[in-house]
Amino acid sequence: MEQNFSQPPSFTAGRMREKSPKIMNIENTQSQMRKGVLEFCILSIIKRGEVYPSDIIDEMKKANLNILEGTLYPLLTRLKNADLLTYRWVESTGGPPRKYFSLTDKGAAFYAELEATWNELAGAVQALTQNGVNINSGNFNQ
Amino acid sequence: MKKVININFQGRVIPIEETAYEALKQYIESLRRYFAHEEGRDEIINDIENRIAELFDEKLKKGAVCITDEDVNAVMVSMGRPEDFEEQDATYAGSATDYAKAESSQSTTAQQVYEEPRRLSRAANDKVLGGVCAGIAHYMKIDPAVVRIIFALIAFGGFGFGVVLYIILWIILPVRSLQTNVRKRLYRDPDNKLIGGVAGGLSAYFNIDTWIPRLIFLLPFLFGMLPNLFSGFWWHWRGPWVAFSGLGGTFFVTYIILWIVLPKAVTASEKLEMRGEKIDLESIKNTVQEELQSVKSRGEKLGTEFKEKAKVVGEEMKDTLKQRTQSFASEVGPAARKTGTGIGNAIGILFKAFFLCIAGIIAFSLLIALMAILYSGVAVFPLKNFLLEGFWQNFFAWSVITLFIGVPIIALVVWIVRRIMRVRSKNPYLGYTFGSLWILGLISLFVLIGMVGRNFRIKTSVNEDVTITQPANGNMFIKVMDGKVRYYSSDWFDGDFPFLSLNEDSMLLNTVRLKIVKSEDSIYHIKLVKLSLGNTPASAENNASSISFPITQQDSVFYFPKGFPVSSTNKFRNQQVMAIVEVPVGKKIMVDGSIDRYDWFDINFNRRRGWNIDWKDRWDNSYSWEDNVQYTMTDNGLERTDKKDRNKNTDSKKIKNGKFKLKADDNGVEIEAEGELEDGKGSYRYKKSGDNEKVEIDTVKPATPVSPNPPKPAQRKITAAENKNAKEEIAGKNISEDFHPPFLFLTTGR
Repeated sequence: MEQNFSQPPSFTAGRMREKSPKIMNIENTQSQMRKGVLEFCILSIIKRGEVYPSDIIDEMKKANLNILEGTLYPLLTRLKNADLLTYRWVESTGGPPRKYFSLTDKGAAFYAELEATWNELAGAVQALTQNGVNINSGNFNQ
Repeated sequence: MKKVININFQGRVIPIEETAYEALKQYIESLRRYFAHEEGRDEIINDIENRIAELFDEKLKKGAVCITDEDVNAVMVSMGRPEDFEEQDATYAGSATDYAKAESSQSTTAQQVYEEPRRLSRAANDKVLGGVCAGIAHYMKIDPAVVRIIFALIAFGGFGFGVVLYIILWIILPVRSLQTNVRKRLYRDPDNKLIGGVAGGLSAYFNIDTWIPRLIFLLPFLFGMLPNLFSGFWWHWRGPWVAFSGLGGTFFVTYIILWIVLPKAVTASEKLEMRGEKIDLESIKNTVQEELQSVKSRGEKLGTEFKEKAKVVGEEMKDTLKQRTQSFASEVGPAARKTGTGIGNAIGILFKAFFLCIAGIIAFSLLIALMAILYSGVAVFPLKNFLLEGFWQNFFAWSVITLFIGVPIIALVVWIVRRIMRVRSKNPYLGYTFGSLWILGLISLFVLIGMVGRNFRIKTSVNEDVTITQPANGNMFIKVMDGKVRYYSSDWFDGDFPFLSLNEDSMLLNTVRLKIVKSEDSIYHIKLVKLSLGNTPASAENNASSISFPITQQDSVFYFPKGFPVSSTNKFRNQQVMAIVEVPVGKKIMVDGSIDRYDWFDINFNRRRGWNIDWKDRWDNSYSWEDNVQYTMTDNGLERTDKKDRNKNTDSKKIKNGKFKLKADDNGVEIEAEGELEDGKGSYRYKKSGDNEKVEIDTVKPATPVSPNPPKPAQRKITAAENKNAKEEIAGKNISEDFHPPFLFLTTGR
């Protein structure tokens, strides 16, 4: 599963899907999964302290979770516009100042909620995939 | 070898290869397009640019001389392409966890994802007039040029319906600034061509096989051929032939115009545009690569281009377009117009609308006319066979039609279509080519006039005596036969002037004149003088003698034919028949009113005036007469049998108002004058007098007092023509008869 994550979606695959949109393929499902956790992961990195966007990328790469920088910036901007993030300009050596991002209070609360959800979800998925919990018990929907 | 340029990129000076710069520019442009409707898009782009600049900076600090294509590619891979964003972007599509929605959004193109709600509106940024067409094109996701052309066809072909529709839409539709959402343009496809690549471009545009447009262009020609194969007498049933050939002609001209108007898709991005492929980063990469290749092979290409130039003149017009490396954005990007304010702007738009309308109507009608002339050919232009002889005259006639008439029409249409399609070429060759072709046409016109004119140089006559039985009771009655000879009536010359009727092989001329003279002996004679023009005396005589003008007789009634046929082999050379009827003294003659069916005109190429009606009379001893009146020949000439005084009988209505021309020739003194009847005063005023002996004429009075001894006019020839009364038979000779008041006594101030 982790290995699949690390594969960047290829352009040719995207094209193929365009031609046969009705067929449910593996990459699509994978990307759906990734999408769900992306914000959570990014927020978790920022939570640890002020961070420069390319550091976020590097850190995620280290964790084998690839993300395109081009999608990171819009995401950060959106989170910033939603008052979850804030940034300050930090002078850099030999270049224009850089933007360093950190969580706001609202962002911290938001992260906490996400974390709770993630834990629930992870537990549920874990239970389902490994232990074969009876679905009729209704556990899944909690 | 690559050119390196320095750019100021987010506060850093970056040396970068020109090709890499182009790729980078297009990449950022694509990002900008992708985030067009995102809140804070400038910030996003700024952040991304900043990051790219940082990456470049790192690269340079590591010792790179400049940023290369590979560097830009690497950056693009790491930053991601817009279509990759779609897959990774978690929050963009809102509640993107909805699987079906995500699926559908991915199956559509990138542009549609961030599209505004679909509403029909006018385009504020891409307009020729009111932006209606661009709005419709945006709504239907097609090329605005296509909508414009269709609209123009409806507008000018549909009798104003399109214009009204346009104005209504202009009023009711709201204005919006519209993104060009279709990256598809009509190009000519140089890789897929038989002639000009037009069909290839069309097939790429509409995403169909190439043979379909080719067949569509070709079919009308095939249909045009078929009736010709089956029937040699196609003019009996002309309809389908004209229709198909007209259609074929339309397609032919359409092809030529598209060939001229459409740019050739040379660069990779143009080819992508032609096929309507999404201009994303991947395809731009291809573009860049192909462009690099094309740079390499440019020298080689130019060589082959040069050959092509020599081969095809039309090709030449577009070749500089090939060298044009206009960037995609600036080419299709809506030319934002400065929105002027106030009345000046309104007037400007009104003027533009008016001008476009007029130009369109002119172009449309001219095009139709050209089509008719060019492709219905002989059927529409029947005189050709009668006027022209030999290859060269036909050749020049055709070059006059195509070059002198056709080229300006095509030029006009090209200009209009270009306006519509917003193709602006900086290349002057098109204008030069059109200009020189037109001048060639003009030269052909002069040559043709000269050549044809030579065939009308020499006039010769042939005399023929008609053997007749003497009419009983000494009374001759002359009638013009009606409709005994049946000719196919023609669509084009139904009127009786100057040709009675016409078909492919022969035309019926009615240039016949009747003269009545005194017979030398005691019997009637009828003589025919057949006249014709020609290149040489021999050919003129040949033409004259081939005139067939049979007169039939029934008792005392003589039937003259309606006219005489001229065949296309004999050609039209202003053939004329002068019938001279000699009436013995004491015998009677009466001419039926049907004589009016004859017309008379002379073509005289020696004079500058071209066609003029010349009343010059070579038969001095003829008399004037009126139809439907019986005359008796006396020693003094014709006299009315009923002895009515002509002066009294002739009512004053016969005095016509109007202009006249006069020419007198008396013993070497020539007088030429033009004048005008001063209404009510009964006198003429001269504008001009001849210059031979400085004759001045002050006034001329109508000859109301009948002079008992008129000046002997035997040596004097006076010709005069009243414009309004051209048909009337006037013998200028008989001044003494005082028949028409315009024939005058001159009081000269000599």
